[in-house]
Amino acid sequence: MIRVRDFTYRYRGAGQAALRGVDLEIARGEFVLLTGPSGCGKSTLALALAGFLFSQYDGEPSGVIQFDGQDVQDIPIYEHADRVGLIQQNPENQFVTLAVEDEIVFGLENRRWPREKMEARLAWSLQAVGCEHLRHRKINTLSGGEKQKIALAAVLAFEPELIIFDEPTSSLDPTATREIFELILELQQTSGLTLLVIEHKLDFLRRVNPRQAVMKAGEILTQDRQAIPDESLDLHPPEGPGDRSPALISLEEVSVELGKEQVLRGISLEIRPGELISLLGPNGSGKTTLLLTVMGLLEPVSGKVSFSGLEAGSSRTSDLARQIGLVFQSPDHQLFASSVWEEAVFAPRRFGMSETEFTDRTLKLLEKAGLEGRLEDHPYRLSYGQKRRLNLISVLSYQPAVLLLDEIFIGQDRDNASFLLQLLVDFVNRGGSVIMVNHNPDYYPLVSTRLLYLDGGALLVDALLEKGMDEISRLGRSEYLPGGRL
Amino acid sequence: MKPGLTYQPGKSFLHRLHPLVKFAWLVGLTGLVFLVKDPAVNLTAAVLLAAVFPLLGISFSSLRGFRLLVSTAVLIGLLQVLFTGEGAELLTVGPVRVTDQGVLRGVYLASRFLTVVFASYTFVLTTDPGELAYALMQTGLPYRWGFTLVTALRLVPIFEGEMLTVYRAQLARGAAYDRSSVKELFGSLRGLLLPMLVSAVGRVDALAVSMEGRCFGRYPDRTYFRVHRTGQADWLALIGLVGLILAGVYWTL
Repeated sequence: MIRVRDFTYRYRGAGQAALRGVDLEIARGEFVLLTGPSGCGKSTLALALAGFLFSQYDGEPSGVIQFDGQDVQDIPIYEHADRVGLIQQNPENQFVTLAVEDEIVFGLENRRWPREKMEARLAWSLQAVGCEHLRHRKINTLSGGEKQKIALAAVLAFEPELIIFDEPTSSLDPTATREIFELILELQQTSGLTLLVIEHKLDFLRRVNPRQAVMKAGEILTQDRQAIPDESLDLHPPEGPGDRSPALISLEEVSVELGKEQVLRGISLEIRPGELISLLGPNGSGKTTLLLTVMGLLEPVSGKVSFSGLEAGSSRTSDLARQIGLVFQSPDHQLFASSVWEEAVFAPRRFGMSETEFTDRTLKLLEKAGLEGRLEDHPYRLSYGQKRRLNLISVLSYQPAVLLLDEIFIGQDRDNASFLLQLLVDFVNRGGSVIMVNHNPDYYPLVSTRLLYLDGGALLVDALLEKGMDEISRLGRSEYLPGGRL
Repeated sequence: MKPGLTYQPGKSFLHRLHPLVKFAWLVGLTGLVFLVKDPAVNLTAAVLLAAVFPLLGISFSSLRGFRLLVSTAVLIGLLQVLFTGEGAELLTVGPVRVTDQGVLRGVYLASRFLTVVFASYTFVLTTDPGELAYALMQTGLPYRWGFTLVTALRLVPIFEGEMLTVYRAQLARGAAYDRSSVKELFGSLRGLLLPMLVSAVGRVDALAVSMEGRCFGRYPDRTYFRVHRTGQADWLALIGLVGLILAGVYWTL
């Protein structure tokens, strides 16, 4: 069905080619997994196979991509779109309309289908993704997993022959991730569709053992049916806090409301120096709200948050920021300066620290991250993984006492995740504390000293690592545990 | 935090009216309050429209920006009362002379402003913007324009949320919005806009792929799944509007 021969592609203005001499074949009805480190060209290859690379982007292609013997570059994009569907990473970015029904029939309306035919296909698509109950909902009321299922239904509606999933679960919690993978596997077994899945979360696909195409630096290294490797990262958790160390942060019966909704319900906990805490829980359970409340960016309606014994309400956020570093999910949302160096030292300068105090430390961190040759570059010229490293260094540069990290491992490959985790372990071993929202069961058990599990705004688990994992298992949330997935 | 001025789902009579009928009422009423320059008529219209909110189960205090607009109306009225010299004197306080003409003009202008505000609020709160866009497209608005409106409606709240995230990220890195000078604030705003711009470009790219992938723009026209049926209530509302406009025109003659 798909034949790629010696395909190379360079985006306009880019120094290096994003794809280099790619060869790939996909047979009809096959299930292929495309993996590789972030920035290696997987999404570019997906855009090329779907035809968008030639209709939407400027660049220099060479080589051939054929679909059923026809060169994709010669097929009008609307014709090619009838046969290939693309599900992108963030469902939020691919919705056009405001309601579930409108979204699913959008492609059919554009193809000028009569209403009766659309009615039947709408019902079929919703049934295929198990979402008949969502038919009359507005998009903004759906959860992340529901949104991704509706995005899939909208593509299934026009019955493509090939569906490409570009990291469809990267922004989903483990429960929604499991549901999406189950859906993909069911589709593959029952529909005979050809599927190409780009993923970092390989564990979920171990059961089906698909053919894997492994990419690196724009090239496909291998494309055999091989067992998904079970490689553990070489990381060791910090020693943990001493028994007598006083609490850095304490929350007493903290409740927070956003609008009319109660998002946190009576949370009490203490965080000591030397703790690396993983905060788990479904999307919408209040994890980000908890971090923002600790940082003083949200005020509780009841209860008390204190930092080193001082109540947070009495401090400004700009004062608390000197002691507490906060890193958000999207790297692009927190790059403000005009060069990598300016970005790395933005905060210590804001805090009035002397240059000698932070220059050496920051340079060493940048060197460790492989960014020493990029100091004058604009931060937006870095790769996704490099931006994430810079985000963390921009906070470590002023050595806060506590780090609050909100899903910073999303879209990160194993090497980059390992680098970031080691930075965190080093930070905690030097006496810092970390609370990180992180769902990946491949990572958190390796470095955490303690687990928190939030659901519906309530803290259901607060225990040391092993005990915490037992308690999560007892809650029936095995998808949050290593090996507890499909 | 109060909800923004957005559609509030419901099943009231106004919610069920055809969006274009409601739009016609909004335009018609706005035209009428400028046509009929009678304080009593305008005040009656403003009071009647204000009475709609409790019927919809919406309290004035829950509406963002409502207090500011009502204060503006009061200010408009007061300025007329204080600075209109014509007419019979009702009261003199120091150098200020309050006349009957000033009071009537104040009531007229304030209630005209309030009528337009209340009518717009009622329209926005009871009309699903998606339905309005689809109704406009099915009535002849080119679908590319219609979907410009629909995608804008989708993206505005997303950008609003992102702006808050970027602002918080800056605060967390020591940007002292809570005690900056104006000059520092401008510097910080620059840092706020760049991430927003980068994010917007990324989203637009993804959206373009999603739309083209589902054949948006393939043909000069398209079909629609939604059906906007015009019911008896819609016809009655339209007849009522025409009657009202005719009465207004008659009144001014």
